[in-house]
Amino acid sequence: MQTLRYLAAAFLLMVFLASVGADFLSPAPYERQFRDHPNEPPSRRFPLGTDELGRDRLSRLLHGSRVSLLLAPAAALLAVFLAALVGLSAGFLGGWFERAAMACTDLFVSLPWLFLLLTVRALLPLNVAPWTSVSITFLLLGLLGWASSARVIRAGAAAVRGSDFALQARAAGCRTARLMMVHLLPNLRPAIAAQFWISIPVFIWSEANLGMLGLGVTEPLPSWGNLLLELANYRAVFAAPWLLAPAVLLVLVSSGFHFIFSKEDPCR
Amino acid sequence: MEPLLSLRISAGYPGRPAVLQDVALDLEAGGTLGLVGQSGSGKSTLALAILRLLHLKGGRTEGRIQFAGRDLTECGEREMRRLRGREIGLVLQSASSSLNPALRIGTQLREAWRAHADSAWEKPFELLQSVGLHADDAFLRRLPGEISVGQAQRVLIAMAVLHRPSLLIADEPTSALDLITQAEVLRLLAALNRERNMATLFISHDLLSIASYCRRVAILHEGRIVECGETGRIFSQPAHPYTRRLVEALPRIPLAASSLNLATLAARLEEDLAQRAAADVVHPQAE
Amino acid sequence: MPVTRLPLLALSAYLAWGQWGGELRFCLRSDPKTFDPLAVADDSSETVRYLTGGVLVRVNRKTQQLEPELAESWKVAEGGRKIVFKLRERVLYSEGTPFSAEDVAFTVRRMMDPALHSPTGDSFRSGSGEVRAETLGPHRVSILFPSPIAGLERLFDQVAILSAVSPKAVLGPFVVAEHKAGSHLLLRRNPNYWKKDASGRRLPYLDSVRLDIQQNRDLEQIRFRRGEIHLIDSLDPETFDSLAAEAPASAIDAGPSLDTEMMWFNQVRNAPLPEYKKAWFRSKAFRRAVSESINRDDIARLVYRGHARPAVGPFSPSNRFWFHAGLRPHGFDPAGARRKLEQEGFRLDGAVLRDREGHPVEFSLVTNSGNKTRARIASLLQQDLAKVGIRLNIVPLDFPSLIERINRTFHYEACLLGLVNVDLDPNAQMNVWLSSAANHQWNPNQPSPATPWEAEIDRWMRAQASTLDPKKRKAAFDRVQEIVWEEAPFLYLANRNFLAAISPALRNTAPAAMRPQTFWNVERISFANQISGRR
Ligand SMILES: Nc1ncnc2c1ncn2[C@@H]1O[C@H](COP(=O)(O)OP(=O)(O)OP(=O)(O)O)[C@@H](O)[C@H]1O
Ligand SMILES: [Mg+2]
Repeated sequence: MQTLRYLAAAFLLMVFLASVGADFLSPAPYERQFRDHPNEPPSRRFPLGTDELGRDRLSRLLHGSRVSLLLAPAAALLAVFLAALVGLSAGFLGGWFERAAMACTDLFVSLPWLFLLLTVRALLPLNVAPWTSVSITFLLLGLLGWASSARVIRAGAAAVRGSDFALQARAAGCRTARLMMVHLLPNLRPAIAAQFWISIPVFIWSEANLGMLGLGVTEPLPSWGNLLLELANYRAVFAAPWLLAPAVLLVLVSSGFHFIFSKEDPCR
Repeated sequence: MEPLLSLRISAGYPGRPAVLQDVALDLEAGGTLGLVGQSGSGKSTLALAILRLLHLKGGRTEGRIQFAGRDLTECGEREMRRLRGREIGLVLQSASSSLNPALRIGTQLREAWRAHADSAWEKPFELLQSVGLHADDAFLRRLPGEISVGQAQRVLIAMAVLHRPSLLIADEPTSALDLITQAEVLRLLAALNRERNMATLFISHDLLSIASYCRRVAILHEGRIVECGETGRIFSQPAHPYTRRLVEALPRIPLAASSLNLATLAARLEEDLAQRAAADVVHPQAE
Repeated sequence: MPVTRLPLLALSAYLAWGQWGGELRFCLRSDPKTFDPLAVADDSSETVRYLTGGVLVRVNRKTQQLEPELAESWKVAEGGRKIVFKLRERVLYSEGTPFSAEDVAFTVRRMMDPALHSPTGDSFRSGSGEVRAETLGPHRVSILFPSPIAGLERLFDQVAILSAVSPKAVLGPFVVAEHKAGSHLLLRRNPNYWKKDASGRRLPYLDSVRLDIQQNRDLEQIRFRRGEIHLIDSLDPETFDSLAAEAPASAIDAGPSLDTEMMWFNQVRNAPLPEYKKAWFRSKAFRRAVSESINRDDIARLVYRGHARPAVGPFSPSNRFWFHAGLRPHGFDPAGARRKLEQEGFRLDGAVLRDREGHPVEFSLVTNSGNKTRARIASLLQQDLAKVGIRLNIVPLDFPSLIERINRTFHYEACLLGLVNVDLDPNAQMNVWLSSAANHQWNPNQPSPATPWEAEIDRWMRAQASTLDPKKRKAAFDRVQEIVWEEAPFLYLANRNFLAAISPALRNTAPAAMRPQTFWNVERISFANQISGRR
């Protein structure tokens, strides 16, 4: 188990360094179109082949990793922070506050937030740099994506509220705020961490889907999202398995995170 | 002199028949009162009601709870918080679940300290020693899952008396303990009671423990106090049929001993237990 | 010997029978919204109308010539205000009632009934006043319009003739037999269909047509590969190529479609854009320079995998009559583009093109999101323009926001969209070319033409609409195409080919550019081997 963890950590570090150093490692600029070499299979020159416009897939994957590996966790962090705030206070305080907060959460889940995103995109200025627009997209994902996590966290917090040790802490005169910070948080840390790790791939996928609506990363910037979209054509994948590289990387990175952080938590 | 605690309450959970019906109790400062009753008779409910924590379990309380000159039912939550742990200590019934599984023992003690003290936190090694626990850093670093139930029960007691409250409510503090440890805990409570003049409401359905520790005893049956008075008198001349049945249910052998002076009986029992403990090779707390 | 002759007889019967019967199956994207041929506004309803409706005249989808159907002949008179049809005799409706001039008059009156809001009728509304349809005998009918309509007779291609007596009776090759909403539609052959084949047998060859409601294009392809359906109307190049690799016989590239991809700059005078940008967009040299920086061959080759060709104007070469054969697409000439820009005062500063006042040349291109083809075209444009120092920002928008911007707020700089032509006649594009029109995309609803060349386009468009002489009309519209080529208000990029999947089991299919491309001659389509057709 321990070796696996080290392996995972080494792998993640490698991917992280590779994406940070994408500018140096990429065989070619990610937007450069080698128009005489479209749809090429892997070769020495193009280790992962080229896309339909002749862009080097490896370079796009590296740069795409940078976008997704930096922004998706940031969005997940924001979402989980909001979820913890709402879920903890709702679950622990109970009463009318809980009812109000959960009604709010349900509303948020059922809200047609796609329209909200569309509206926001429509309100953005026309000439924005791709990096700005993708950052805004992830920021919005973070701001909007907390509700389902909040439900899970609330359930955990409600269980703690009724527990004997919370009662005992109260009987010892513990303040509510302190109770939440010191007694509640450590108990829900695994749940919160799980929500965080779950959110990352979800956000990566959301970004991919938003790309279909024109809200995600705009050309020519790559992201795992828009690279994954190419897999939509399953026939092409059979003929060209190297198209799977972004998906494989996503799976490996997600499970890498899982191995490192879902250790048998001492708190458990 | 006015008693430290004097209450007259009814309590229950919505949608069910009342658990406590007009229960009245008095406990003078430094006194020890045993509360006996069948399982499910409402003893724990009463303990929580006194600390005004019953609502956390979904329960309701009516009546008045006079404590050290105030009516607790009229205190605000802020005042109640200041009272809990500092003037009234509580040991909950189930030791194993009353400690936060995610927090180290030291942290939980520190939190209990922090709740009322302005002074810097010092590790209460002396106190832990006095409840018969290993008073070292290694112990404080343990998680509740890493200590025995008996140890947990004593940690809880230490936590409850950390601020030297004038009243300790101990809800079956010995239920999970073997006879020897039980006796130790009882001795500890007795010592605390003596040395700190700490009044104790001792909840139990174990008559022998009550007999050995409490000066007075109240019998709770079907939501009412059916009998209340000197321990010796109640056990020697039970008036209420329920009490009579209780006493009769006690093991025959010690009760067969002549004049039925339960107080002496209990004292003898305690001695006996102590001897047995000394003879035991393995100390229960030894690692 | 009867014993030996029997199998032979059976075989010959089988061969003769081979041409007949069977069920043609293909998919509709959605349920038809109406079965009333005059209320048709959506694709599915149009398909049903085509398969069931009988018309007076039909534009042959292959030759694009007008051919007689229920009308044996016709005559346009009074400068295009009047048309007289001589009708075919002894034609019966599907229910057995005879077809007569009365039915045509009834149909026209109903179509022009203002209360009905018939979209088909809209194309006949030429001016205020009543449309009069009169029978001149049992098989002659005359229709009089308040003012002339150019290309009047061709419009009747869309008018399925109703029965004056029986609302459900039809004159087309098939009759709707069954409709299960969300699932399928079953059409059976019309036993009274008037058309006969060369050997004198009554058409259609097919017994029935089954239209499955299928939104998902992937499933449609899978079903085609399994042989469950026989036609797919338009394939994207990627799918086409993979089908062509697997089953070359069923992948049909029918040559250029009528559709055009194009981009244009916002030339609206009070658009919420910086003045200097508006100045670029109004500059012909700028527009032409951008156009010449674009490598259209690469678009056809990379985006459409070769199944397209550089576009030159509003009509693709598949519009045989109206296409201007004398024009060539703007050539790919970055050096020439740079020269043009320099003459306009633009200069290259490192890798960045700047205008006279020093503003870096950067503009955004809005397009509808979720369209892979357009995203790829935009990427190619981005790199092509970068080569001349222009920075292009691609802004994919959802369709409603896009329409809002290009039609109402005019808050956009350039737009990339496709033009889907269903009509061959330039008259259908009056609302695009007239400077006062709402669909004059680069600068709509002008009170008076903003530029001399737009005024000239207005003149030529009006000229072609006001004459019935095809030669004169063609000359006028050629002028329009030349001006548009010269001024480049629209930068035409590519005409994609019409790519279809047609089961090799079918005979007599003749895919064409015009809708319905694959089954326009449905009454003559049959199964080569009836057994396989019936399955
Ligand atoms: N949270 C609750 N909601 C509803 N009813 C409850 C709740 N807690 C306890 N009760 C009921 O109230 C009654 C008294 O319970 P309580 O826990 O006070 O009994 P007890 O005397 O402490 O019993 P034991 O000796 O088993 O600890 C029981 O009948 C129990 O079923
Ligand atoms: Mg209890």
